[in-house]
Amino acid sequence: MQEAGATADLELAFTLADGLEYIRTGLKTGLDIDAFAPRLSFFWATGMNYFMEIAKLRAARMLWAKIVGQFNPKNPKSLMLRSHCQTSGWSLTEQDPFNNITRTCLEALAATLGHTQSLHTNALDEAIALPSPFSARIARNTQLYLQEETDITKCIDPWAGSSYVEYLTGELAAKAWKIISDIEAAGGMVKAIEQGVPKLQIEEAATRKQARIDSGKEIIVGVNGYTTTSKTDIELLEVDNTLVLEQQLRRLASIKAERNSEETSLALRAIEDAAASGEGNLLELAVDAARKRATLGEISSACEKTFGRYRAITRLNTSVYMSQMQDNILFKEAQQLADTFAKLEGRQPRIMVSKVGQDGHDRGAKVIAAGFADIGFDVDISPLFQTPEEVVQQALDNDVHLIGISSLAAGHKTLIPKIIEELKAKHREDILVIAGGIIPERDHAFLYEKGVAGIFGPGTVIAEAAANILKQLIARFDQ
Amino acid sequence: MSSSETHSRLKPYHDPDVDTVVNGIMNGDRHMLSRAITLIESLKPEHERKAHEILDRCITKKTSSLRIGITGAPGAGKSTFIEALGELIINQGLTLAVLAIDPSSRQSKGSILGDKARMEKLAARKEAFIRPTASSGYLGGTSPKTHEAIVLCEAAGYDVILVETVGVGQSEVLVDTMVDYILLLMLPGSGDELQGIKRGIMEIADAVAITKTDGDQSGIAAISRAEFEAALRMLPVKHPVWKREVFLTSALTGKGIKEVWENISEFFTAMRKENILETRRREQLNSLLYTVLEEMLKKEFFSHPDVIASKEIIERQVLSTEISPFSGARKLIEAFIPRR
Repeated sequence: MQEAGATADLELAFTLADGLEYIRTGLKTGLDIDAFAPRLSFFWATGMNYFMEIAKLRAARMLWAKIVGQFNPKNPKSLMLRSHCQTSGWSLTEQDPFNNITRTCLEALAATLGHTQSLHTNALDEAIALPSPFSARIARNTQLYLQEETDITKCIDPWAGSSYVEYLTGELAAKAWKIISDIEAAGGMVKAIEQGVPKLQIEEAATRKQARIDSGKEIIVGVNGYTTTSKTDIELLEVDNTLVLEQQLRRLASIKAERNSEETSLALRAIEDAAASGEGNLLELAVDAARKRATLGEISSACEKTFGRYRAITRLNTSVYMSQMQDNILFKEAQQLADTFAKLEGRQPRIMVSKVGQDGHDRGAKVIAAGFADIGFDVDISPLFQTPEEVVQQALDNDVHLIGISSLAAGHKTLIPKIIEELKAKHREDILVIAGGIIPERDHAFLYEKGVAGIFGPGTVIAEAAANILKQLIARFDQ
Repeated sequence: MSSSETHSRLKPYHDPDVDTVVNGIMNGDRHMLSRAITLIESLKPEHERKAHEILDRCITKKTSSLRIGITGAPGAGKSTFIEALGELIINQGLTLAVLAIDPSSRQSKGSILGDKARMEKLAARKEAFIRPTASSGYLGGTSPKTHEAIVLCEAAGYDVILVETVGVGQSEVLVDTMVDYILLLMLPGSGDELQGIKRGIMEIADAVAITKTDGDQSGIAAISRAEFEAALRMLPVKHPVWKREVFLTSALTGKGIKEVWENISEFFTAMRKENILETRRREQLNSLLYTVLEEMLKKEFFSHPDVIASKEIIERQVLSTEISPFSGARKLIEAFIPRR
């Protein structure tokens, strides 16, 4: 949740409220609290706010014991909060990437001093590409030297008694408890998720954070402060998307050819029936189907027939970006350019923000969408997991001036050129394509060559990107 | 990348001529339909002229389309409902155009048009054309431009046109001047909203669908249904041949969607039988004529050089109570049309 933009109090409250729903669901099926509560575990993100992260884990343990305590467990282990922490990928930067080793180390230290049971440290090239063997080794070793060389794991709760950490812990616990109580009063976390409340609050926090960085109120070293012009060349993992897709399709085909298809469809049918009747253990049946070589897609489709598929409600926090950026020169310039363009073109500039391929990371896309709308764009949002053909069809239907592709899963080298080709085929080269997200520097030339009009990586100021692209759009009227 | 590099590569804006657009639309080319809707939405005079040329040629095409308005408060589940109804319509072998109007921010002039994401499945169907439009200044969203877009969609051969609008009070009533059938979507338990502003919308509704009546909402939904039925009985009849009904629906389970579609079909059969549909559409054209005329007059008036010249002086006179607002307005009119 923090990766999506949640502040510590939101992350704490929503995670524990989720846990509470799991407990209720378990009890409803007739399980004893002690039969499953000790096995629950929590996944936290650990960011750069060092003391806050330590306080978060301490507050979480306190609140969780309070929550589970309501259900009168006999086994003290039921009250225990087991944690896994992952250092923040969002906090890592494309610029000056070796700084990321230090960032990850500090985050890992916070997670450790907050007493996480399990830890994931991110690779230094997280903001650029998928990890290479080199960067993955350094990430793993960051954990190892904290564990082997520093002795910090020898003490229990080393920050207990520090007036500042205790103060933060208390504050955070109180704030989170208020949010949890509000959620409970409104009918619980499931209801809140259905209504899109947590998502909206998290996205609002994300947009606010972005605006604070864009306006220079928060400094990220190497990004909006202390920047350097020297380029760091690091070896990156190259993923050939076309090849991966082919391999996966081949594997699927061979599994489907080799399995006993009668057995598989019986197992899938059993899932469908259980989903429809509400009788039986779905997890057990899913495991059985997987043993009979049913694919993940087939298993989830069997469930989908009864349950439908969850779809996030698309609501965006417009005006949050504006409220933080109002007096910013870049923001004002972008707004004026949008006005100029609207006068020349007869309508507001219109952008479609899309995600292509199997990549569901939409924090960046949402923040950009909200920011662009605040600058004066009409912003279309297309569904997740689109093919290049679908993106182009929607862009034509909505008649946009530009398409913004957000890519965080290494699909840019195949999918983005395909979109441009498809636009050409429809004689709409006038629709510009810009790309954002995680795109390694070394791919920039290739993408520009293919016709991309702008590449805006992590650390781009939204208003600046908007101004850049508006200038290109306006320049066309001079021709 | 230097900027000169970029500019030399920029392709000029796609600008097909009127013949290409009209022929495209008539042959069901949705790309040309989309371009024409853009021309309609544009505030540029040359776009407007071109749009009207296209419209004049498209409006002559006779079609038997169904124009349906779907309205409701934000959060009532309009997109989800339209997606479920839309899929059902397409599965009947019909084609569907959805014109969705989303609010523009007054401050930033921008907007978020999330309709495609909200109607993901429908957006993937080639039988469906979904066009979100920013309301840009038109309160409540619908404007004469929506009516023009409907005409274009019909010329492109779409059988059913759904117009989705946000129900915000009085301006909403405008949608009644451009569609045949209006479905009002309400959430379970929203019966108390019946007082006040919702009355205007209730009066123009041809049916009410209570949405999201699945799960633990069914109890409240039944009560809401009774409340809405009672409220509809209190309102004056909209069409003498038509009795308005309240449906319990759920886009999640599909409950009530088929019934709503049957209700729509019955409505059109009844209206056609009595020839009301034709009469109403003629009335709508007539009312549109005057709405557009008013807009054009306003525009002509405020861009008239003599009006611009005398506006400031007259404004000052009014503000200093030298003359009344009434004679001020009269003076401005006289600047526009000199008294003979």
